[in-house]
Amino acid sequence: MQLKQLMIDENNIAFDPSMGNSYQLGGSAKDIFELIQDGKDKEEISQIISKKYNVSLEDVYIDINDFFTKLKLYGLFQ
Amino acid sequence: MIKNIALSGLNATDNPAPGYPVAKSLKEDYSLIGLSYDPNEPADYFENIFQKIYLMPYPSLGFNELKTRLETIKRDTDIELIIPNLDAELPLYIKYQEELEQMGIKTFLPTMEHFELRDKSQLTNLSKKLNIKHPKTIEVSSVKELEEACEELSFPVMVKGNYYKAYKAHNIKSAIEYFYKISSEWGFPLLVQETIEGEEINLVGLGDGKGHLVGAVSIKKLTTTELGKIWTGITIEHKELMQTAKDFVEQTNWRGAFELECMACQDGLYIIEINPRFPAWVYFATAVGVNLPQMLVKLASGEDVKENIDFPDGKLYVRYTDEFITDFSKFSKLITTKEL
Repeated sequence: MQLKQLMIDENNIAFDPSMGNSYQLGGSAKDIFELIQDGKDKEEISQIISKKYNVSLEDVYIDINDFFTKLKLYGLFQ
Repeated sequence: MIKNIALSGLNATDNPAPGYPVAKSLKEDYSLIGLSYDPNEPADYFENIFQKIYLMPYPSLGFNELKTRLETIKRDTDIELIIPNLDAELPLYIKYQEELEQMGIKTFLPTMEHFELRDKSQLTNLSKKLNIKHPKTIEVSSVKELEEACEELSFPVMVKGNYYKAYKAHNIKSAIEYFYKISSEWGFPLLVQETIEGEEINLVGLGDGKGHLVGAVSIKKLTTTELGKIWTGITIEHKELMQTAKDFVEQTNWRGAFELECMACQDGLYIIEINPRFPAWVYFATAVGVNLPQMLVKLASGEDVKENIDFPDGKLYVRYTDEFITDFSKFSKLITTKEL
């Protein structure tokens, strides 16, 4: 799956230039977005976020999975 | 080179017409004459934009009345081009564009044949040619036909006038209510259309009459008024929408301004409506570097116009209310002399 091309500004707002929708990225969401755009998969993202925020890998993986489901729901995967 | 331009659609209220934004796009380079239908149209009093204002006969009175009025205006102001901006007057201007040319007044409009191709009742056929989806639409002229159409499409359905107004009906009771509401104001036929789940996106464009899209800007309305008019919006780069605009102009040899109203859905783009004129948000395009009214004037003058479909995405449009004070004598002069 590929993330739709989104632009993230200095206020942590992700803008979808093809549909004009914008999304406020809270907490670690910006990190996750950037990691997806770097081509990382769920496992790699979970490991990086787990280390950065010092949270168990299991908890992070559940949250990341949920995050991916939401992205799909919003049509942000092409 | 054209200097004097007349344009209509001066209503700048909560249901704004395109005349004022078109005028704002042209005011720096041309002398503008306003063609008004009512002394209550706010732009009648925009003295910094219009050199003169003339009250016009309603289009329902026919071409002879229009011609007589335009002869007076031509004599007084030497208008060289008219940009009609209202749906109700377009058929008259399109039908008689050659007669206007003989009077020394240019237009830049589609042929009647092309104008009718994008009529709401014909859009199913056109969408097939453009290879774009269109919600299933059934024409109705009686309550019996309305009931049959609702049964076929299943609720909710859109009940639409052929020119104006559209309501979403969730049951037969509200469908019948909307049927009478629209038909009493705008007549028959009406259209019953399946509802499409998606996000509305729009494009304003200009065709050169030779199959080439010379200018366009696409947007999404972020907030609208209760009448569905844009209040805030944003420019977008939607490749499929732009391609649809190119295909439309190429297939129809469209000459003049137009607006595409589409729905972006999970299974692709659906075309909902094609308006044969500038929309009231056309100044958005001007402000992001695509001055479509100016390009139209140049095309009407026979000048070459360089294609411009290049604009930045993410530009925000904000409509707002404002007011100014003027003398009542101007209002009374417009009523009594039909000029200002």
